[in-house]
Amino acid sequence: MTARTNTTSWIAGALTAAVFAAAPWPAAAQAPASLTIVREVDSDRYDPPRSTARAGSEVLFMLGDTLVSLDFDMKTVKPGLAESWTISPDGKTYTFKLRQDVSFCDGKKMTAQDVVYTIKRWADPATRSPVAWRAGPIDDVVAIDDYTVEYKLKAPYSELLYQLTFSFGIIVDKANVEALGADFGVKGFNGTGPYCWVEWRPRNDLRLKRNANYKWGPPIYENRGPAHIEEIVWRIVPEETTRLAAVMTGQSPVTQYVPYSGLAQIRANRNLRIEETKEAFWTYFIGFKIDKAGLEDPLVRRALVMAVDQESISKDINFGETEPAFSYVSQLAQDWDRAYDSKLIKTNVAEANRLLDQAGWVMGADGFRTRNGQRLSPLAYGFAGSTWQKLMESVQGDLRKVGVDMRIQLFDATVAWGKLATQEFDMFGMSFPYITAGDALNLYFRSGNAPTPNRMNWKDAKTDELLNRGMTATDLAVRAAAFSEVIAQVHDAAVWIPLYHEPMKIAASTRLAPFKAHNIYGSGLYKGLDLKFVR
Amino acid sequence: MLKQLANRLVSAVPVLFGVLLLGFLLMQLIPGDVARVIAGPTATQDVVDAIRRDLGLDRSLPVQFAAYLGRVLQGDLGVSMINNVPVASELAGALWPTAELVIACLVWAVPAGIGLGALAAMNRGGWIDRAIIALSVIGLSTPVFFFALVLMIYLGYYWQLFPFLGRAGPIWTLEGLNGIVLPALTLGLSFIGPVARMTRTASLEVMSADHVRTARAKGLRERTVMLKHVLRNALIPVVTLVGLQAGFLLGGAVVTETIFSWPGVGRMAVGAILARDMPLAQGAILALAIAFIAINLLVDLAYAVLDPRVNRA
Repeated sequence: MTARTNTTSWIAGALTAAVFAAAPWPAAAQAPASLTIVREVDSDRYDPPRSTARAGSEVLFMLGDTLVSLDFDMKTVKPGLAESWTISPDGKTYTFKLRQDVSFCDGKKMTAQDVVYTIKRWADPATRSPVAWRAGPIDDVVAIDDYTVEYKLKAPYSELLYQLTFSFGIIVDKANVEALGADFGVKGFNGTGPYCWVEWRPRNDLRLKRNANYKWGPPIYENRGPAHIEEIVWRIVPEETTRLAAVMTGQSPVTQYVPYSGLAQIRANRNLRIEETKEAFWTYFIGFKIDKAGLEDPLVRRALVMAVDQESISKDINFGETEPAFSYVSQLAQDWDRAYDSKLIKTNVAEANRLLDQAGWVMGADGFRTRNGQRLSPLAYGFAGSTWQKLMESVQGDLRKVGVDMRIQLFDATVAWGKLATQEFDMFGMSFPYITAGDALNLYFRSGNAPTPNRMNWKDAKTDELLNRGMTATDLAVRAAAFSEVIAQVHDAAVWIPLYHEPMKIAASTRLAPFKAHNIYGSGLYKGLDLKFVR
Repeated sequence: MLKQLANRLVSAVPVLFGVLLLGFLLMQLIPGDVARVIAGPTATQDVVDAIRRDLGLDRSLPVQFAAYLGRVLQGDLGVSMINNVPVASELAGALWPTAELVIACLVWAVPAGIGLGALAAMNRGGWIDRAIIALSVIGLSTPVFFFALVLMIYLGYYWQLFPFLGRAGPIWTLEGLNGIVLPALTLGLSFIGPVARMTRTASLEVMSADHVRTARAKGLRERTVMLKHVLRNALIPVVTLVGLQAGFLLGGAVVTETIFSWPGVGRMAVGAILARDMPLAQGAILALAIAFIAINLLVDLAYAVLDPRVNRA
């Protein structure tokens, strides 16, 4: 063989390889029966009461169903596996009438026994559910017949129906749980949801297939089942640039995990759109430890809240994609008192300076305030990573303008939760999902929840009494009035610097039919019943 | 040869023990708490403590290490603390994708590096030589993630030539082949530089040798001289370098795997370390150490084949 022949063969080979490689990808050529959804992180497992991360919930909502569901308005509780329910006059007994046409993915009928098992397992200390308290003060859960369940409480719990919409209460198959043991939600999950478990490769992908028998979807959907999409693949893509590129190229036709910086590009692309909901029920805030030196004075805390420019944070850090927050929960949330809107603390640097002067903190020549020789220098703990670093630095800059020397220490998430359970810091950064204002207030402001999640050390008998009154109310007006008082109490005391409410924004290809974004526990696609390829 | 192999295998035992011990201690030194990770943000301290007890983390470090070592010696790498999956099965699923990636990288980057190095040597001092040296330096000094992003943006996004969302299948399938192009190109770009430079240096040294002068004097064409007399001798140090660098490729693969969502052992190790999942992280570290030792062993064997003097020694 001559050198020329060699060279020619090499060029031909290279060209063939290039043409071969440049051929359309199979994914683009085949009928779009499969939908890949990219996301940032995986869940540790998919066991409803034990999986508390958003990454767990968003998949579990597709794999299973809850007794009741939540409408897109994030306020109205609708039927789910229970087609109806009644509440006893004393508010302590909920009787759920179950649908009789529901079966698990393996074909087994779902009955009241499964519901009883699920709820008892959720509340059982042996399950080690970090969210067992959400199931309420259970006295007993009883199957009256195959399709009637009595949920008995030791005390009224007005939050119960809302809590039952979360993924933690997804009905599980007792036989499946017991058969898989520790591998439940790891190697399999026999649910009643619109999609069935196929395979999970932790940190890589989770494959679901359509449950062809499904027809009991929540009434909030036009399509109540079966789902339109044959297969859903949840794929973990840690890099946000890669996720953005995946959406832009159609490799992932839908995801809520695109960086704010990329949303403008998506809007400008005629093949893509953003589905969003104005119910922004995920709030970012910085809390104060209210018993720490300097911060024990409500005037100082109020001044610090006033010094922060929330509008600027949303505009400059989040590219205008978030809603500046002045309230601790979204003003659209159930139980929020609209009468308090006008009393919310707004950005006012001059007034912040005046309050700090009034509190005895004197501005020094170096631009920092001191009192009795001590500099006003709170230490803030937060999470490492671009989001909290930027937020903390922005707040640090704002506080610097009023003479406050905020110090920042950021930790990896695996360390941060432990550090945030200590009393070492003066301020802390946090974000959280919720459905109702009562849900949020009860979690963060109950005295018994200190030091975590009540990291502020807010211990107030009146707050506890009001929270109890709200939680045990059988009359919605009483509940609203009680929570309204708590809202006023904690906002007046300026225990948090609210930063922004995070709306649900889902990037979607126009190959998908328009659908409505949900926002339950930050799970934008919820049951996924309206996901449908149109081309 | 067999004796050499046996010696190397025996000497690998203390190395592996050291890897196990260091891996274990390093995981202890990293701040963080897997029980907190599992329990989630709203968990009470009681729940966290109970999870810690369940995982055996309340025992002393020597007891934990002894238990771990005992299990490893019996071939049991344990189960993931996070999701209870056996570490061995996680490793089994992750090792081949990494091997695929490293092989795909070597397949194109080694010939390319050798070719460029030879071309530079043949044109010593000329603009081709200078250009190749400059490109080698760029390849050596540019971080892998930069190559990854540039390739992804141009070849993946603008021109839509290749997918970049992980492994679509084994390398012998069309989907798998398409999917590995960008990660393999990324990894290879940082590999070409050292290979090209080593080839150039070794070739220049051999080119001034007597037997090459004799070959030229015999009237052989320059290409023949280069291929048969120069490169064959110059390749011995290049093989050593390729072997050593192949081990380091595993490190580069961690970044590449993360950016391209490639389900390999590097990405698994990063995830396990970030989650403080000790058994999984230690399993991954052990697997990478074994791979590194195995590659070095293969290089030694290849060296002996290429240069019979090594065998005789």
